[in-house]
Amino acid sequence: MDLRSLLRPASQLLTPLRCLSAPRAAVVSLPLTSSRGHKTTARTKRALKISPHDSFLPSRTAEFPAADSIIYNPPASEASPSHTPFIFLPRNDPRRLAITRLRSTANVDPTAYNSQTNGELPPEMRYKRRQPKYNLTKEHIEEMRRLRNEDPLTWSVQKLARKFECSTVFVQMAAPAPPEHLQWLKGKLERKMERWGPKKTAAREDRKRRAEMLYRGEL
Amino acid sequence: MKRIRPSRWSGQLLQARCGASIAAARQPFLLAARSQSTSSAAAHDSSSTSTTPIDSPPPPLPAPSFARAAQSAKLAALHARLSLSQKIPLQTLARALVTPSADANPNFNNTNLAYLGSTIVNYHVLEYLVCKWPRLPMAILYEALRAYAGDASLQQVARRWGVESAAAPGEEVDPGLLQWKAGEEQLVNTRWGYVRSDKAPAWRRGLSSRVVLDNDFGDQVSSLEAEKPEFDTLQSEAFGSVVQAVIGAIYTHCGREEVKAFVKSHILSRELDPSTLFEFKLPTRELAMLCAREGFKAPVARLESETGRLSRTPVYVVGIYSGKEKLGEGAGPSLDVARRQASMASLKAWYLYSPGNKVRVPSDMMEEGAKPWKAPYIDIGEII
Repeated sequence: MDLRSLLRPASQLLTPLRCLSAPRAAVVSLPLTSSRGHKTTARTKRALKISPHDSFLPSRTAEFPAADSIIYNPPASEASPSHTPFIFLPRNDPRRLAITRLRSTANVDPTAYNSQTNGELPPEMRYKRRQPKYNLTKEHIEEMRRLRNEDPLTWSVQKLARKFECSTVFVQMAAPAPPEHLQWLKGKLERKMERWGPKKTAAREDRKRRAEMLYRGEL
Repeated sequence: MKRIRPSRWSGQLLQARCGASIAAARQPFLLAARSQSTSSAAAHDSSSTSTTPIDSPPPPLPAPSFARAAQSAKLAALHARLSLSQKIPLQTLARALVTPSADANPNFNNTNLAYLGSTIVNYHVLEYLVCKWPRLPMAILYEALRAYAGDASLQQVARRWGVESAAAPGEEVDPGLLQWKAGEEQLVNTRWGYVRSDKAPAWRRGLSSRVVLDNDFGDQVSSLEAEKPEFDTLQSEAFGSVVQAVIGAIYTHCGREEVKAFVKSHILSRELDPSTLFEFKLPTRELAMLCAREGFKAPVARLESETGRLSRTPVYVVGIYSGKEKLGEGAGPSLDVARRQASMASLKAWYLYSPGNKVRVPSDMMEEGAKPWKAPYIDIGEII
């Protein structure tokens, strides 16, 4: 088995060389090692007999009596929603009382993310989230509305949000565009969507369907 | 549970209550019996209906006669298989197998028993669900109730009991077979609930109005019956009515304790994973609103581990934390999907809080020598 696996790459290296040496002749490239199937039961069984991966075997680092080890293979599965997190437990739940007692007595919190690295949490992800600033006054909002009504094309939602340092959602709520502008935008989008080919349309539909499946827990 | 309003009940229930009288629809049976018994009755009949000769063979019954129930091996086998008490006669079991689609007469079909049984089943399932998962949203609660006590589930129960349907209902059929047929127009109303007024516009049908109006599963009951139900619906309704009618019969003959044990062992013993019933719309936002409502710190997604970021099939494991407390984790092929999975897992962890596997339900207090009642956990309501 091992010999064959060594020989095969070697033969693959040699094959183009042989083709180069006799380029004009009709070469029937015969491999050096024949890659044949296991045509009998005995050979198939012998070929399939592979020793298990080390992670399936108990650890033999220590002497036999001390060699008790837990095998994490297959690895830990997805966390079940039936395990209620500590802060979701109601006040009079006995589990809450037990965990509180455990945390107060033990110096290492057994329910923390990683009891070895005490207190260190994994890195925060960077994603768009709500960060309220409350920096706008009534005058700001009136100004925003005036700009949007005067020239909705130059003062788009994005531009206003950048100018007043607020979110686009807030601009849409506080200073909605005049209805004819919205109508025009809608028509523009429709004209754009009409130009999409079948691939793009299908891809967008599939994306929507995937999101729905994700929210139903089917992915 | 809903209020009982006898004034809104249709005629069938009330007719069944008075019991002693036999409706006119069964007239051929009486005619045949009477012509055999005495001559005076036969003379009276012939005087009233002079055009029809009395010795002509009566038209066949729509369903097998209950007199043949004791001879049916299938009925006895079903009775034994369900380990029913000896107090329940085979005739009652035979009546539980006659659906209104076969015999429209409420004195001979299973409508009344099935309605009684359905109220018992729904009560026991609902009190179990509310005590076991007190934070389930109303829509999920309705679906969970349907998963336990809906017609499709009860049909499965009936099939596992070994109930088989006759090819067509009729007098000559074995009374141990389910008597039902599809396709005919539904003569008898077997759907129960509060009918909305037709004048109300469509937007009025919110979830909270479904609690008061509509039927036990939050489905609309239309008074018009314009749409014709499909074959599968009718079939599951017929098979489901057998289970409900058997439960109603147990309650009638044996009482409360027996019926509770029966419901527990045949319906509540079925396994349901309520975490599969959820469908979210904006899970990250819902979780943020939950944390704001409950006074927790705002949820933050943290990347716990990842593999193969530059490969075609990366896997990210994201955990959602509120302060130092972990709310849930999820894995996905992209950072965004993993974060949404983790938010959904956290929301499910909130909604699927359960006080324990052995919850006490209010009907446990009706037992002899029950321990004093301790109020179950009651949640303040859904996240809006």
